[in-house]
Amino acid sequence: MSETKPLSIKEQNKSAASSLLKKNIRKFLRNKLAVFGLVVIVVMTVACIAAMAMGIDYSTPNPTIMKAAPDAAHLFGTDTIGRDLLARVLYGGCYSIFIGVFCAVMSSVIGAVLGAIAGYFGGKADMIIVRISEVFQAFPQLVLVMMLVAILKQRSMGNMLFVFVITGWMTTFRMVRNEFMSLKGETYVKVCEAFGMSKANVMFKQILPNVMTPIIVSTTTNVAYFILQEASLSFIGLGVADSTPTWGNILNAAKSIQVVQNQWWIWVFPGLAISLFVLAINFFGDGLRDVLDAKQQ
Amino acid sequence: MLKFILKKLALMIPMLLVISLVVFVGLRSTGIDPITFMVPPEVQSQSPEIVEQLREELGLNKPLIVQYFNWLGDILHGNLGLTNKGEDIAGIIATRLPYTLELSVYAMLFSAVIGIGIGIISAIRQNGIIDYIGRVLAVLGQAVPQFLVGILVIWIFSIKMGIFPSGNRVSPDATNAFVDAFMHLFLPVLTLTIGMVAVLMRYARNTMLDVLNSDYIKTARSKGIPEWKVYMKHGFRNAMKPVLVILMFRIPALIGGSVVIESVFSYPGIGTTMTNAITNMDYNLVLVITLIIAAVMLICSFMVDVCNALLDPRVRLGE
Repeated sequence: MSETKPLSIKEQNKSAASSLLKKNIRKFLRNKLAVFGLVVIVVMTVACIAAMAMGIDYSTPNPTIMKAAPDAAHLFGTDTIGRDLLARVLYGGCYSIFIGVFCAVMSSVIGAVLGAIAGYFGGKADMIIVRISEVFQAFPQLVLVMMLVAILKQRSMGNMLFVFVITGWMTTFRMVRNEFMSLKGETYVKVCEAFGMSKANVMFKQILPNVMTPIIVSTTTNVAYFILQEASLSFIGLGVADSTPTWGNILNAAKSIQVVQNQWWIWVFPGLAISLFVLAINFFGDGLRDVLDAKQQ
Repeated sequence: MLKFILKKLALMIPMLLVISLVVFVGLRSTGIDPITFMVPPEVQSQSPEIVEQLREELGLNKPLIVQYFNWLGDILHGNLGLTNKGEDIAGIIATRLPYTLELSVYAMLFSAVIGIGIGIISAIRQNGIIDYIGRVLAVLGQAVPQFLVGILVIWIFSIKMGIFPSGNRVSPDATNAFVDAFMHLFLPVLTLTIGMVAVLMRYARNTMLDVLNSDYIKTARSKGIPEWKVYMKHGFRNAMKPVLVILMFRIPALIGGSVVIESVFSYPGIGTTMTNAITNMDYNLVLVITLIIAAVMLICSFMVDVCNALLDPRVRLGE
């Protein structure tokens, strides 16, 4: 008989948490699509960062090989002014992925905090924040981008991130606010309040975890959303400056119907890169949701 | 309930005023002089007095806030002003807006019915064949950028098959207005619908699943309520709240989407007008279009509130 020492409550909690984590990881690994998504995300991100770290040439035009179809020297072919498309797609990935992740996380944080405050406190605070969100909501993103471009006289990456974050937090805000308004009437919240727990603790430690699943799902979806949004803006010529090869800027060449008809590789490869990455994020997000949803366990 | 609706409606007017003021000041503070687009450069350099006179007439030398109230007064009198080229903005809006409305309303209608329908079937038969196919299609439709879908659709239906026209809204030699409209609307509506269905399907499935896993559904089942009634009356109704929010929230995306899609299909709607107005720095036109879009979005937000209040009394009582 081995000697068993009684575990303290803290240790018990710790082992319970680690077994829950193990259980969740096992559950996630069973979801083939989610694992596929995670692998694709990691592989593409690493490839893009590696290409940038190695400093491969993406910007020198070569007039002798303009619009060259894919071959051994240029796996993805070359673009309309003879730049290697593979290098551009890899470099573009760094920018596009960064835009997507940064904007999604920032806008979720802003949305969740404001949503929690508005939903929990209600009254004046709620009214003011909702009004602000409606003002933001009423601005078409295009006009805001255009106004910033006109005011700052440049289409820089910083402006782009700013515009996306400032125009992107309202969906999360609405969702979190509605959840908080429903949940603040629940008994467990009343009990916590009766015990004199601070408002911040009740909001962020007691209620917020119950809203985390939709926030995480919407954050993952938003990474994809912002990448697509950047692509659309760049496609109509209002995105990041042309010198930065984001996936959207590379696709801008497909505005010409001649390119669409005759140089398929110029739009198919960057198009595939965006689609594959967004697809992977969505699979991953779905898998994450299934794991995190306590109601299904 | 009526009081709730009236209160919400009354709040929309100051909102619109604030928005119009912000946009007006924002666009005016860009430091770009509309005169440069109205008067040819040679006139500007040779006779500055004509420029000054024009500036005086247009009220461009007055303080910004006075300019704003003059502009607002004109708008309230139904005078939407002129573009930099001297065209009547009201006329442009009257021809272009209905085209975009057609596009958006059809896309919204088709995507709501298809998206919510498939989403709910997927949730009820979770991990079934429809769920699996639906999920794959949903994520695929969501993953491909909309303009790329547009390009693909043009490539398939216009270039390869030659069935539908690749752009525009009206053919000069059209004999049947209805058939002509159908031919031109089909591809852009298809493109917009594909993107919308993907999102709606995903949300409808996720929220319906959340609802179906909750205790009151188990209670309803244990009471012996027929399965379809459990789904429709207990599940569907509660699942619809977040889905409706998302549906309304997709309207800005739909408008944004139609700006891009109109550019892909050279469709003469409000989106193309807007893009051109932005590149030409045509303040007045951008202002009016912005306000119209802002009004549409405010109405949507109002509808979200009303729907929420109707579906969940806690929201109404919490106000």
